[in-house]
Amino acid sequence: MSKNGTVAGMDIHGTLGKLEGAGNIFLPRKAAVLLANDDTPIEKRLTLRLEDDAPFEFSPGQFIEVSLFGYGEIPVGLASSPTRQRSFDIVVRAVGRVSKAIHGLHGGDTLHVRGPYGNGFDLDALRGKNVLIIAGGLGLAPTRSLIQYILDKRDEFKRFTLFYGTRDPNTLLFPEDLEEWRESDKVEYFETVDRATGPWKGNVGVVTTLFQKTKLEPGTKVVVCGPPIMFKFVLRELDSLAVPHQDIYLDVERRMKCGVGKCGHCQINDKYTCTDGPVFTFAELEKLPEAF
Amino acid sequence: MNAYFISAHDFKPFITRLIEARRVIGPVAKRNRFTFERVTRAEDLRLDYDVTILPPKKIFFPPVQDLVHFEGERYAGCIEAEPQVLLGVHFYDVKAIDMTDQLFREKFADPNYLAAREATTVVASNVQRVSDAAFWGSIGADVAPKGHDAFLTMIETGYVFETRTPKGAALLEFGRFRIAEKSEVAAADRVNAEILEKCPERIDHPAEAVAKRLWEVFGDEALWEKLAEDCFSCGSCNVICPTCYCFDVQDRWNLDQKSGARARSWDACLTQDFAQVSLGAGATENFRESRGERFRHRFMRKGAYLNKKLGGPACVGCGRCSQACTADIASPPKVINKIMGAAR
Repeated sequence: MSKNGTVAGMDIHGTLGKLEGAGNIFLPRKAAVLLANDDTPIEKRLTLRLEDDAPFEFSPGQFIEVSLFGYGEIPVGLASSPTRQRSFDIVVRAVGRVSKAIHGLHGGDTLHVRGPYGNGFDLDALRGKNVLIIAGGLGLAPTRSLIQYILDKRDEFKRFTLFYGTRDPNTLLFPEDLEEWRESDKVEYFETVDRATGPWKGNVGVVTTLFQKTKLEPGTKVVVCGPPIMFKFVLRELDSLAVPHQDIYLDVERRMKCGVGKCGHCQINDKYTCTDGPVFTFAELEKLPEAF
Repeated sequence: MNAYFISAHDFKPFITRLIEARRVIGPVAKRNRFTFERVTRAEDLRLDYDVTILPPKKIFFPPVQDLVHFEGERYAGCIEAEPQVLLGVHFYDVKAIDMTDQLFREKFADPNYLAAREATTVVASNVQRVSDAAFWGSIGADVAPKGHDAFLTMIETGYVFETRTPKGAALLEFGRFRIAEKSEVAAADRVNAEILEKCPERIDHPAEAVAKRLWEVFGDEALWEKLAEDCFSCGSCNVICPTCYCFDVQDRWNLDQKSGARARSWDACLTQDFAQVSLGAGATENFRESRGERFRHRFMRKGAYLNKKLGGPACVGCGRCSQACTADIASPPKVINKIMGAAR
């Protein structure tokens, strides 16, 4: 960068460079933090709005690359539905340099985002069907985009069931949403914790114990998102219930460094999680030996 | 386009005039090996090189490249593309450029790569000396090199210069070229055909059979662990590969602590933490934890995963990995021939 504030003959812009515009896939957009909330001791929820106020179109299940200059970028699933426009939510768990730096942000601060990326959930396949969402731990964040979407367009879907399992009551995300879902007649909501602490009176046990609480109807589409270990147990359970593998949608995690199908870190065999996924059907994934 | 001829006597003045007019990158000697560097004197150009240490991908996709510069609240992309001539690229490296062209262009086009690519005139040249590890005569033989603007072939009396694009033809003004005789073009074709038989190494199986076999033995963990037994996970085989294009992205601060850059740098899937993610509380998940898995990934990537997309294997037979591997286990001909012969 030269002293007169130009980069390669171009003015430095606060927003998109005029020569490059949307053409530069690595140039992020600035977003304001409207709200920052510590949902759990290690997970912060941020409500963001793009500073250029341009519409931000995305589909449930897509993700963005979130960054703080000087620290770096991380992939984060969009945790709110595009039906609730103008702002969007993400949840960041403090695990590394970037995520810990993001944890230092408050309302009024800014960060940068690129995206949206990835395929998202196949809404056309889910419409008009019974839908069961199984979320484990932080897996509730990306699935919340779909949960909100279904709740906002409730008529488009048939029976809607949600399983949410987490380690202990202190690690429950989106406490206001949980309150709402517990009361709502729009969703059959079941929750569990691996270990009960404090005043917890709900179910105790891994997420698969929730299958006993309700009966899965044939033709139900199942969406699963959670830690790798959870997939194993949930898929075993779904197999025992004879759910066809093409009806199971898995939102998987890999190291999606660039988000645009180039950098190679998120590959599962010949698929790029960031562009071919992050949502795959079980039928697709079971053909990939590196998936599980 | 057309074929031209320049005499051996007129060749050096051509290079000299070209260097005066344009920024020229070409093969030059570095001790007993060769590298693509800026050429400032015609006598430094070594078209008789066998293989360069690094492939020419570094011209379009530098080992470290700034993507975004930031200073306080302001930030901007930093795509810099200086017009230049990349001279003396062997046909196998042109094929690799074709692959990276396609891979950087697909889905989300990468402007950093493409800007440098478009600003560069690529002049291929015939292989005059064959590297000890070369096997380009027997891999992807039906894939023709495309991404060059001109092709230079040394024949007995001088050089045949075949222009492929207007960019290539634009170089004619710098030398005393004339239209080539049919016999001269035929001589050039002969030179380029004959050299294909001179590789010391070869893969004895067609690409489709190799790809099929790689999928068949994918689950043979013992085979892959055995092949990777001595792997240091150093990633040298990735770094020197003309078709490897994985990268890492990191931010760095300048000394003023106010400005800095987001930069990408070459990464390597053979390194231990390439596919590792953090889970929190110090826990990690490594999606390719063992050396065997990482070693296998490289061979799947070169021999199977990209074949359909690229129209052939993502390996051009340069042999650089065979030479760069400290443990001497990376040679594709050795590994592939072994896998093809492995008990079925």
